Amino acid sequence: MAPPADAAKYASEVGGQTLLVDFESYDVLVVGGGLAGIRAAIAAVEANPRVKVGMVSKVYPMRSHTVSAEGGAAAALRPEDSYEKHAFDTIKGSDYLADQDVVEAFVREAPLEIIQMEHWGCPWSRDPDGKISARPFGGMTTWRTCFAADKTGFHMLHAVFQTSLKYPQIVRHDESFVTKLLVEDSRCVGVVALDIRTGRFDAITAKSVILATGGLGRVYAFTTNGNICTGDGMALAYRAGAGLKDMEMVQFHPTGLPFTGILITEAVRGEGGYLLNNEGDRFLKRYVPNKMELGPRDIISRAMITEFEEGRGFDGPHGKYMHLDVRHLGEKVIDRKLPFMRELGREFVGIDIVHEPIPVRPVQHYMMGGVDAEISGKTEILGLYAAGECANVGLNGGNRLGSNSLSECLVFGAAAGRAAAQYASSAKPVSANPVDAMLWDEARRVESEYLEKKGGQERIGPIREEMQREMDAGAGVFRTKEALSRLARNLGGLRERFEKVKIDDSSRTFNTEIVAALELDFMLEVSSTVVFSALAREESRGAHARRDFPERDDAKFLKHTVCFHTNTLAPRIEYSDVHITTFQPQARTY
Amino acid sequence: MTTEAPAAPREFAWRMPGNWWTRTRHYFLYMLREFTAVPMALWLIWLLYEIKRAGSGPHGYYPRSSTAFVVFSVIVLGFVLYHSYTFLKLAGVIIRVKLFDRPVPSQVIVVTMFGSWALASAVVGFVLIWFAR
Amino acid sequence: MPDKRIEIKATRYDPATDEKPHLQSYDIPFYDESMVVLDALNHIKSHVDGSLSYRWSCRMGICGSCGMMVNGTPKLTCNAFLRDYWPRAIIVEPLNNFPIIRDLVIDMEDFMRKLKSIKPWIIRKQELPLGAGEHYQTNEQIDDFRQFSECINCMLCYAACPVYGLNNEFLGPAATALARRYNLDSRDQGLKERLPVIADPEGVWECSFVGECSVVCPKGVDPAKAIQQTKLDTTMRFVLPYGNRD
Repeated sequence: MAPPADAAKYASEVGGQTLLVDFESYDVLVVGGGLAGIRAAIAAVEANPRVKVGMVSKVYPMRSHTVSAEGGAAAALRPEDSYEKHAFDTIKGSDYLADQDVVEAFVREAPLEIIQMEHWGCPWSRDPDGKISARPFGGMTTWRTCFAADKTGFHMLHAVFQTSLKYPQIVRHDESFVTKLLVEDSRCVGVVALDIRTGRFDAITAKSVILATGGLGRVYAFTTNGNICTGDGMALAYRAGAGLKDMEMVQFHPTGLPFTGILITEAVRGEGGYLLNNEGDRFLKRYVPNKMELGPRDIISRAMITEFEEGRGFDGPHGKYMHLDVRHLGEKVIDRKLPFMRELGREFVGIDIVHEPIPVRPVQHYMMGGVDAEISGKTEILGLYAAGECANVGLNGGNRLGSNSLSECLVFGAAAGRAAAQYASSAKPVSANPVDAMLWDEARRVESEYLEKKGGQERIGPIREEMQREMDAGAGVFRTKEALSRLARNLGGLRERFEKVKIDDSSRTFNTEIVAALELDFMLEVSSTVVFSALAREESRGAHARRDFPERDDAKFLKHTVCFHTNTLAPRIEYSDVHITTFQPQARTY
Repeated sequence: MTTEAPAAPREFAWRMPGNWWTRTRHYFLYMLREFTAVPMALWLIWLLYEIKRAGSGPHGYYPRSSTAFVVFSVIVLGFVLYHSYTFLKLAGVIIRVKLFDRPVPSQVIVVTMFGSWALASAVVGFVLIWFAR
Repeated sequence: MPDKRIEIKATRYDPATDEKPHLQSYDIPFYDESMVVLDALNHIKSHVDGSLSYRWSCRMGICGSCGMMVNGTPKLTCNAFLRDYWPRAIIVEPLNNFPIIRDLVIDMEDFMRKLKSIKPWIIRKQELPLGAGEHYQTNEQIDDFRQFSECINCMLCYAACPVYGLNNEFLGPAATALARRYNLDSRDQGLKERLPVIADPEGVWECSFVGECSVVCPKGVDPAKAIQQTKLDTTMRFVLPYGNRD
C-alpha cells in the first residue's frame, strides 16, 4: 500500500544500513482490520468527515479472523424480546462478572448495528415476511441471534470491508505489522510498524490509536483461531503500561473438530442438534437440564471434559470426543441453515453430517479478557482506545454467550471510532522529534534481536509448539495451582530459550519468520498474564474453573483481575470493582 | 558503508508460457473449440468457390468431381458439431430465466436447447431432401 | 511400521539474492492421513527451513490467504490433502499470472484495485434512515445473488484464467462476480454506476469463456456464469426499449 504523497520520507542510518522510514500522521489510527477495526474506522469518518483515518493490518482485511465466525450476532430486535432480557441473559451468562452498565448500553445499541449492517449489504437470513430472522443460541432465553446462513462472520466482514472502500478518508496500510506503540509524555501518539513486504520501518503517528487486533487463541495448541490470532494488541498495550483485565477468562467452545480444531458452530445446537456421549446419551440433562444443548459454553465444555474423565467419551486418534448429531434435522434444513457445516464435515472429516454424527471436543475459541477499556473504548493511556475481542470493556465477564461477540465488535468498534474522532478533533498535533528517536530505537531493536541475529539455537517453531502444549495442559478448561505454577515456570524457561532463538531468514523482503518471532514474543507476554491471573483468582467463576477452588466466591472475588507489566515474568495484579446496577448475583444454574 | 534499501523490492514479473494451452485437458479443449472457427471459415470460402462453379450450369457442375470438397465437408462437420455441442451445453450457464417466480434449472435450459437443435436439424434436413428429389 | 515421508518442492525467490525463482526440495514426515499441503509447509518452516515464506491464516478454507499452485493446479493449500498425491512429490508454486514478491507470495494489489473499481457496496438513490429498520428482502431474493456472495477473494480464478495471464487489464472473474452480486441484490440500485467498468472492453467483453475459473473456485461461486450473464444483461439493456432500464 503506497503511503500518501505528503508523508515526510527520510532515510537514516540504522546499524550501517540506510532505511527509508516513513512518517505519517492521522487523526485516528486503527490497528487491526477485522469487524471491530473496520467498524471503528467507518464510525470515525461518519462522526467527522474531515478526519484522516489510517488502518494498519498485518494481513489484508478480508483475511481477518472475523471471517471464520459462523453462528450469528445477537440483538433484541424482535417484539417478544426486550433490552432487559438480553441484558439479564448476558449478565447471568457472565457469571455476574460483567459490568452491568456496559451490558445495558450494549443491548440498546446492538439492534441499531444489525440494521446498519443490513443497510450496508449484509445478507441476513430472513423470515417469510422479509424481516431479519433470528435463531436460538446458547444461554439466550429467546430467539435473538441474527444470522447469514452459517457464515455470519464472513458475510459481515466482507460487507463492512467493501463498504469501507467507499470512504476516501480511510487509508489502509495492508500487511504492516505494529511492533510497538509510541507513547510520549503518557500519551499515545502512534505506532511503529514493520512493512512486511519491504522490511521498512514506519512511524505512523496519530492523535488517537484504536487497538482492534482480536484474540490470542494461538497461545493454545488446540484452538479454533487462525494463525494470526496472537494477542498482538493486548501485548502492545500491556507493554505501554495499560492494564489487561480478567485474562484468566478464556472461553472453550464445546464443539471443535478433533485434530484441526475447526469450529462447528453453536448454531448446529441452536437448530436442534444433540450432544451424545459414547452411551448414546444426551448427557447434558445431568448438567444443564433446562437448557440442554443450549446451555452456556463454559458449563457444557466442563460437562464434556467430566464425561471424558468418567469414561463416557469416544476414543479417537486425536483425543476423546463426543457426537454432535443433526441427522434428525433432515437434509433440507441442513442445506438451508447449516450448509457450511456440511461442507466442513465433508472436506475435513470425510463425513456427511446429514447421515453421520459429527465428532466434537472442547476447543479454545475466544478471550473474554483483554485491554482494560471503558464503554467508549478509552483505556488509561491518553489517546489509546481498544475495541472488539482484544479489549475487555466489561461486557462478557467470566463467560461470553455465543453471538454476543459479533455484536460486541460492531457496538464497541463504533463507540471507539466515534470517541477517538471526537478526542482527535481537539487533541494537540504530534511533534516529530521524540518520535524519530523512538522509531530509530525500535527499528534497531528488531533488527538486532531478529534480523541480524547470528548463531541462535532453536527455531521459533519448537518453542512455540511447546508453549502451546503447555498452555493446553496447564491453563485449559480445568486448572489447579500445581499445574498453573508449573506452567508459569515453563513460560519463564521458554522466554529464556526465545532470547536465543535461531532465525533462518535474513531477507528484508516479506520476511514471515521475523513476523513469527514478533508474534511469539507477544504470545509469551500475554500467556504469562493468563497464567498469573488464573493463579490469583482462587475460585471458579464462568470459564475459569479451579479444581482446588470449585465454588464461586462472591465475597472475595466479585472483582476484576487487572495485570500490569513489570520487569519480571509475573505481572503486578490489581483489582477493580464490578459495576452492578440491576441484577444482584445469584446462583447460576440452567 | 551505507546502501539505500530499495523502496519496493524487485518483483518477478509473470510471463505466460507459449504452451499454456497444453497444460490441462480443459485448456486444450477450449483451444480446440475456439479453433473450430478456422475450418469453418475455410469451408465457407471453398463453398463460395463451389457455388461459382455451379453457376456455369448443370452440365458443368458435378459434385462427384469434387470428392475433396465432400471429404473436407465431413471433417469440418466434425468441428462444427463440436462447436455447437459446447455452445449449447453452456447455454444453461448464460441464460437466466424465471418461470412463475422460480429460476429455471440450467439442465432444463440445456435439454431445451439440444431438443430445439435436433428439431431444427430435422426440419432443415427434411426440406433439403424434399426439394432435392 | 516405517514412517511415511513425502517430498515437497517449493518455489524460492528472494529478490535481493535471486535472479529468478527456483524450486527447492524438502523431504518431510507424512505422519497423519489428514495432513494438508499447508501442514507440510508449516512443518518445513518450523523444523527444517524457517525462511520459507507464504501466506496463511484460518486453515479452514474461508479466509482465502493460502492459494498456491499445487502440481500445476491452483488450490487452497489448507484443503489439498497429501494423501491425494503421495507417494508422488508435490510441487508448490506461487499463484500463476501474478508477480512474485517472495517465495510463494504474490502481489495482490492489482486485484485489490479491481475489487474497489466495481464499487462493491450498496448504492441507493435514497438512503433508508436507520430508524426505518431493515429493507424487506426474502430468502428467495437472497438466493438470486447468494452464490456470487460466497467469494473469499482467494484469487484461484485469476490464476486459472489464461486471459488474465495474457492481459493484466482484464477485470477478471472474482471482481465481475462481486459486481453481479451487488447488481442482483434487491436492495441495490447501482447498476448504472458499475456499468462503465464491467461493460468496458477490458471488463466482461475480454472474457472468452474458457471456464477454468469456475472449475477451480473452492466455494462454487461460478464466476464464469456471472460474467456470461453480465454480458447478456448488459447487451439486453442496450437493445431493449428505453423504458425497461431502471
